[in-house]
Order: sequence, then C-alpha cells, then structure tokens
Amino acid sequence: MIEVESLSKSYGSHRALDAISFSVERGEVVGFLGPNGAGKSTTMRILTGFLSATSGTARVLGHDVERDSLAVRQRIGYLPESTPLYSELRVDEMVRLAAELRGVPSSELEQRMFDALSDCSLLDVLGKTIRQLSKGYRQRVGLAQALVHRPDLLILDEPTSGLDPNQIGEVRDLIQRLSERHTVVLSTHTLQEVVASCSRVLILDRGRLVADGSLDEVTRSVPTKAVNVRVSGDFEAVKAALSAASLSGEESSRDGAQAWWRVVRSGPGADPKSAPESARVARALVKGGVDLLELQPESASLEEAFRHLTQGEVVDA
Amino acid sequence: MRELGVVLRRELLSYFASAIAYVFGGLFLFVLLYVTVDMLEVGRATDTTAFFRVLPWVLLGFVPALTMRLWSEERKLGTLELLMTLPVRRISLVLGKFSAAVCFVTILLVLTLGLPFSLALHGPLDWGPVLAGYLGSILLVCAYTAVGMFFSSLTRDQIIAFLSASVVLLVLGLFGHDSFLIVLRDAGIPRSILEAFGAMSPTTYFRSIGRGVLDTRDILYFVVFCGVFLHGTVLVLERRRTRG
Repeated sequence: MIEVESLSKSYGSHRALDAISFSVERGEVVGFLGPNGAGKSTTMRILTGFLSATSGTARVLGHDVERDSLAVRQRIGYLPESTPLYSELRVDEMVRLAAELRGVPSSELEQRMFDALSDCSLLDVLGKTIRQLSKGYRQRVGLAQALVHRPDLLILDEPTSGLDPNQIGEVRDLIQRLSERHTVVLSTHTLQEVVASCSRVLILDRGRLVADGSLDEVTRSVPTKAVNVRVSGDFEAVKAALSAASLSGEESSRDGAQAWWRVVRSGPGADPKSAPESARVARALVKGGVDLLELQPESASLEEAFRHLTQGEVVDA
Repeated sequence: MRELGVVLRRELLSYFASAIAYVFGGLFLFVLLYVTVDMLEVGRATDTTAFFRVLPWVLLGFVPALTMRLWSEERKLGTLELLMTLPVRRISLVLGKFSAAVCFVTILLVLTLGLPFSLALHGPLDWGPVLAGYLGSILLVCAYTAVGMFFSSLTRDQIIAFLSASVVLLVLGLFGHDSFLIVLRDAGIPRSILEAFGAMSPTTYFRSIGRGVLDTRDILYFVVFCGVFLHGTVLVLERRRTRG
C-alpha cells in the first residue's frame, strides 16, 4: 500500500524529515506518533502530493508520489490537519464538491454521497453551513469528503485534536468502522489515540523514525529497570537469595505462600538504570532454594516507551 | 474537462454567494456608468467612445480587487492543502478560477449594455464599434484577471496581492498612453524602448480592437499575455511544494 524509502525533507537548513523508511500493508491501521514538529504532517503531505520530498522515494499503491501524483491522489482520501473546509458551503455542497472533484461518476454521485454522509452520521445536518457546525461535526464533514470516492487509503492528520472527550469518542468509533474497509494512516500526539485505534505504531522524533511495530513490540523494545517474578517461598529466603547475587527486590503482592517480587540491580557498581538479566535472577532464586513460578521482564507502557524513544530517557516504571 | 467545469461552477457560484460580489458589482456598475454619463454630457457625445475610454481604468482597480482572494485566501485558510491534494490537475484549478472570474466580470459588462441601447433610442448608433469595444473589453478583463491571479498565488496577504497587481497593471496601462510616453521621451528614454513599452501594453491592443478592425495580432497578444501569467500561476503553485 505504502512504501517509503529514505525520505527526507528540508525547509531551508532545518531538516524536518531525516531519511525515514517504512511500509504499510493493505488493511493496516497505522498511527504516526510523535511530539509536535516530529515530521508527522510533513510525511503525510509528501504522501498526498502537497509537498515534494527533498530526497528519497515514496510509493502509494505502486505509484510514485512525485512522478505519478495524480494517480496517487485518485486513490487516497486525505484529511489535512485542523480540517480546512469551505465554511460558506453547506454540508451536502461540500461533500458533493469533493465527490465531483475526486472523480465520482455522476451516475453514482447521489449514492456515494448518501453512503459517506450516513457513514459519518451527517444526515441530520445536511442543510447547515459548515460555519454553523461544532468542531466534532466539522471533523466528520472532513472525513466524509475524504472517503466519498471510496479510496483504498485514508490519510488522517490529527483527526481528534481539539475535540472534547465525547467528540473524540465519536470520531474514534468512526475511524474504527472505516478501518474495516480502508487502510488507515493517522497521526496523533496523544497515546490513547494509538491504543484505541491502531494496529501498528510508527514513532517519529525530530524527523527520525525511532520505532516501528505493533504496540507490544514497541513497548517491549524499551529497556526497563526491573524483572517481576512470582515465587513460592518465605520473605526472608527470597531476600537472602537476591542479595547473594547483588540484586534487591520488594514484595509487591502476596497470596498465601506465593508472592510477586519486583527485582532490580543493587550493590556496588550496579547500573540502576538497566534491568537485571532474567537468567541471573532465575539462577539466584533457584540457588537460594526459592521456587520460581513465573518470570516477566517489566514492560513499559506505551506512554513510557514514547517518552523513552523521543527524549532518550530510561523508563522508571 | 469535467473537473474544469466543476471548478468553474463552484468558483462562479462563490461570487454570488458572498456579499462582496454584490458590493463590488454594484460599485463597478455605478462608477462606470456615472463617469460615462458625466463624460457624455460634457462632450455631447452620442456614442460609446467615452465608456470604453473609462473602462480600462475602472477595471484596473476592480479586477485585482476581485482576484486578490483567489489563491491568497485558500492559503490563509488552509483549504489550499485540500485543493492541491484532490485528484485535479493544477492547470484545471488555475483555468477554472480564471474563467469564473472572467465570467463574473462579463456578466457585469452585459449589464452595461443598457447604455448603448439607451443611446440607440435617442439617435442613430453604429453597433460595429460597440460590439468591437465589448470584445476588446472581455479580452482586457482576461488579461487583468490573469495578472491579478498570478499575484494572488504569490502571497497569503490579499492586500499585497491587490496592490502589486494594480501597480503592474497601472504601469502597463500607462505604457499604452501617448501622453505618458511623451513624458518618458522628454526624460530622455530612447524611442525604441518607448515603442517596446507601447507594444507591451494591453491598452494598445484594446484600442486597436475597439476601432472595429479585427487583427489576429491583437487577439494573439491577449492569448499570449494570458498564457504567460496563467502558466506562471501554475509554476508558482508547483514551486511552493518544494519549499513547503
């Protein structure tokens, strides 16, 4: 669906996008995540033909976005950031205009308009001018104009920014429904957005792609400080077994003879910022005569992963 | 072709949907007819010569005021991003906006036909120069619109678009007036350059057409003139993509 190879974009001396590469398969819902200015909008603007890249290539549905821009633009639906619309038009006029300019044949125009307007729950505001609408409704008009020609790929730049919680919920539900029929690429700087809508996340930071994978893969790739173990044995025995191997731990919960412990490095020369190796923890416990029932390296939440990847911090879970 | 039609219709409707068009339109007709009637009274003229003498000057202020928003506003409101990412050729967008503006002014010009008709009621009127004058006027509107739109594509500030287009058109217009060229000649500018200035001015060709003798060179001038500025607009829009 999308293949991007070492794509770069400079504005003067400022490098907004620094050789990023990724690909998106049909049916995926991919979230671009990153702080403001990370290059999310720039990437989307290159994919949609609004900007041209300084170097590198991008292909959408096999068409080069630079040389074959028109073919690309026919197959995608794009909602630019902050949803620019012709505010003097009525809802139906705006969607009709988009349908006509997106090349919907006149014989199918009414049907496609009806589908898009009902998909986006806009049938009750058809006759209103866009200026009169709330932000949530405006956003839905933006989505309707983007999907009225049934594009293969929907590109949505910050579809929920500036909305109140109810509106965010509505737009998310809508995106969820749309993802059944379209490949969706959306950008956001809120993590919940990705968790709620996306099957895959691309994290951008200062023009570089710092993570690419499913939510699990991304959170697991982030180093944490601790290993969690479930053990069977008394408190003092566990404590002793750990300290014998330059480890320390705290009991986090206990259920009869079994307990969960959170284990970190300790002792002189230990780097408190990295988690102890699982094998070392296991050996220490077994050697100390404690029954090891379960062992899990502590995983970072997406929020922690995000902070780590975009600020180079080690996660303090 | 279809996309061009859609853009043309949407743009033309947008003139009538906004109050600005009616204000501008009313103002245009009022100024034009007032000045013309005034000249007719003073000169006791019985034809439309005075009307076509005033028209270029009125258009000089009016057309850039109409075209200044065409691209500036799209950029300022962000709708340019919507427009440029639609599967529509840039040239269709440019020609659609261009022809809509020309159509709008042409509609206003049609409304001024009341003037020659009322002249015809009061005495014999030679319709040849009248029709030639209107043809020349429409071509002049095309030229002014192309310039106005080009400057609108350069900036997001409508006032700057308006002023720069008006100044360029004013200078080009003055080049078509002998009295202005005489001033330049007295300032020591060589005759060949002055002739080149005259040959560059839309006014020269507008007057030539108005004399009622159709010369293909006059038509060709307007075609080339519009082509240059329309192509320039496409280039500016295209160029903007690399700058971001």
